[in-house]
Amino acid sequence: MKILLAYLAVLAGTLSLAAVVQKTVLAKTCWCWPPAPHKGGMAKAKFESAEYVASGSFGTEADWNNADHVYALNYSQEQGRRVFSQQCVWCHADTTPAGPSNRSNITPDPGLLNDSAVLSKVNDESLHKIIAGGGSGVGKSAMMPPYGATLSDEEINDVIAYIRVIAAPEVPKPANNAKSAGE
Amino acid sequence: MLRRALQSRKPWFAYVLALGCAVAVSLVYWQVRTDWRAWRQVTEGHVLLAKSTTETLAWKQPVLPAQFSQASCGSCHHDDLAQTPRLNHGRQLMVKYNCTACHQLLDIERPAMLGPDLTNVGTKVSREWIYKWLNEPRTLTDANGNVTVNGVDTESRMPKFDLSDAELRAISAYLSVQRVKAISPSRISLKVVSSHGKDDAAIADGQTRFNQMFCVTCHSIAVDRGGEIKVIGGDIGPELTKVGSKVKPEWLVAWLNDPQGYLQHTKMPRFEWSDKDLYKVSQYILNKLTDPELLKDVPQMGAPTEGEVQLGHKLFVEKGCAECHVIQGVTPRSNFGPDLSAMGIAGGVRVLEARMPREKDFSVHFVRTGVERLDVSEAVVPHSMISYIQSKITNPASVTPAPRMPRFVMSDSDRDDVTMAVLSMTGPAIPNQPQKTVVERRHSNYQPDGAAGEVYQRYRCNTCHNFRGNGGDLAPDLTYEGSRSNREWLVQFLKNPQTIRPSLTVRMPRFEMNEKDANTLADYITTTLLKKEVDPKAVSQSEFTAEMADRGKKLFETKYSCQSCHTIGSSGGYVGPSLNNVADWLTPAWIEAWLHNPQALVPGTIEPRQSMSESEIKDLTAYLLTLKQAPQAETVASAAKGGGQ
Repeated sequence: MKILLAYLAVLAGTLSLAAVVQKTVLAKTCWCWPPAPHKGGMAKAKFESAEYVASGSFGTEADWNNADHVYALNYSQEQGRRVFSQQCVWCHADTTPAGPSNRSNITPDPGLLNDSAVLSKVNDESLHKIIAGGGSGVGKSAMMPPYGATLSDEEINDVIAYIRVIAAPEVPKPANNAKSAGE
Repeated sequence: MLRRALQSRKPWFAYVLALGCAVAVSLVYWQVRTDWRAWRQVTEGHVLLAKSTTETLAWKQPVLPAQFSQASCGSCHHDDLAQTPRLNHGRQLMVKYNCTACHQLLDIERPAMLGPDLTNVGTKVSREWIYKWLNEPRTLTDANGNVTVNGVDTESRMPKFDLSDAELRAISAYLSVQRVKAISPSRISLKVVSSHGKDDAAIADGQTRFNQMFCVTCHSIAVDRGGEIKVIGGDIGPELTKVGSKVKPEWLVAWLNDPQGYLQHTKMPRFEWSDKDLYKVSQYILNKLTDPELLKDVPQMGAPTEGEVQLGHKLFVEKGCAECHVIQGVTPRSNFGPDLSAMGIAGGVRVLEARMPREKDFSVHFVRTGVERLDVSEAVVPHSMISYIQSKITNPASVTPAPRMPRFVMSDSDRDDVTMAVLSMTGPAIPNQPQKTVVERRHSNYQPDGAAGEVYQRYRCNTCHNFRGNGGDLAPDLTYEGSRSNREWLVQFLKNPQTIRPSLTVRMPRFEMNEKDANTLADYITTTLLKKEVDPKAVSQSEFTAEMADRGKKLFETKYSCQSCHTIGSSGGYVGPSLNNVADWLTPAWIEAWLHNPQALVPGTIEPRQSMSESEIKDLTAYLLTLKQAPQAETVASAAKGGGQ
């Protein structure tokens, strides 16, 4: 009887020890990407350099005005980047996948989408209207064709989300806040 | 004895025994829960564990990190999705690198070109060159050792094997004796080619011809542009900057004359050369595209000995060379590498386990269901599945000691794309499921037959163009070309391709196609490659009047401002094709259908769909049909390919 009791006591002790280990040690296992050694439990991983902006985001894009500034893109912005590079880049950027831009062939000049002076004057709704209805739809030059029948509403919203990133205007930093601006 | 001990007056003994039993039971319990890892470690040896310290990472992540999330789409969508560009690229790379040669994968095709056929390689290159190539399979690097120069990937598909000097000697000996078929005799006297010495005029002419024929559409070469070395050209064929120091002159002439005679499945078309042109271009390649330093650090080896050849054959089989290269006397094995068709973590229980039994001198890989961890010895990479795959691709030795897998050299983003494609492999679909969830990849092996099929094969049209789902994506899809283009224009274009898209840098090569071949292809295109809804005969030129054309011109220039993307005369944009010769090029039926809905004809084309009325479409078509270009305005300088969409 004594033997059985002793055995059960030891077994209970071992199992509770295992439970404690599971609660403390295994709970600290890192589930995030990229794997980084974590100090202090579930502490958020620290990303010090631009390449780590990629971690946990759907894609990255360097600010067109400041290549050192790399932004993490969310899902919508990443899809916007895809649509932009297929449809918009030809006339609304200075360099294109084919080389030179088509901008110079068009009068009036299409707005450069990394020009925050142009973009900060228009809200998302007007942007949506001009992309879907074309220049003639809002009383501007018909050089901008309508994309309402080609792109879905969601894709147009994605493009807008994306172009808001590439032209993010510099935000003056408050004196005692060292966190990065424009996020 | 036990009974006596228990009955003796030593009560502490019973406590010790109870404790011992408990420890033993706990030990067994722990081992069962951990898949007998420590037990196997002791008995089999070298099954090391991911260290269970606080810094151990989750091997299987419950949810893929965001930048790999496209892999989750891929577990059901085996076909390409517009929203997953990186996954699609990863799968293309898996085809390009011929991963299916060694691994079992889901819905990944074999590439058209697996790797050069080595049956006759002894007639093509020297033993020294093979030595050099196997040691470092790349010819062009920039100052930092990168293989991408100005965004152009010049990396060869050949992975890097870590071979010792003796192994290199043996394999190069084995390959240099592979001469099954003698080089077919050429119309050019080889004596003239080799003994003529340096013929500067011929070299200069050869360079002009090389440029005129647009060899750089498929092959890249490094050129000096104002002191800066730039690599220009495509990556369908091998990079050619130093090819003159690589191949034997007689082989080069025979190859240029008839590539398909040397290598049946090559992507290279057969050009209709005149003897003079063939001589000049081969002179240019052998004298200008060279590097005297190329074989500088290769030891002189002399004739191969029997022992070296034997060893080379053994190594060739062991290293799995035959999985990509055809050679006489060795058969490929499709299960040379582990099965990766269930490698994706999102799919659940199937995970790869790598083990290293003590007795064997090579690593054994196998897939076991239900195993939750990977045991990696001395891994220097984080213990997680994604890092494991990433490291395995570019440096297998970092995760598996003595790996059979070679090192694939690719950029970090390419590596991540391939990792994504591997993660999307989640095993075969569950049978008998009520709803079909897997979207299969469409496979097409469409080939024309008959006389057109022979010409099509000779010019390898599907290297660049896609025909009914089969072919490359460099040039326009020609599935509906018969509805799009006029027959007379096709014949002219095939004989002398002109540029249609001013912004393109890659262009259709000039094959010097003869009248008969051009007519055969044009007949095939106009009778077979038709879209049912767009019948070229349904709309006749006569229904369009000059008045309609006038109205169409106004619509073109003001209401729709088509000139922002299309060039007419010398003004306009170059996003779309030039419309200078559109009346000769496009059929009226195609123009009308295109203006209705471009995406219905060419899915994914970037021309936006406009809401035009029926009469506006007629007017615009009438205007476009007035745009003809006088043939004499075409100059050789602007001769180029294009492709029309």
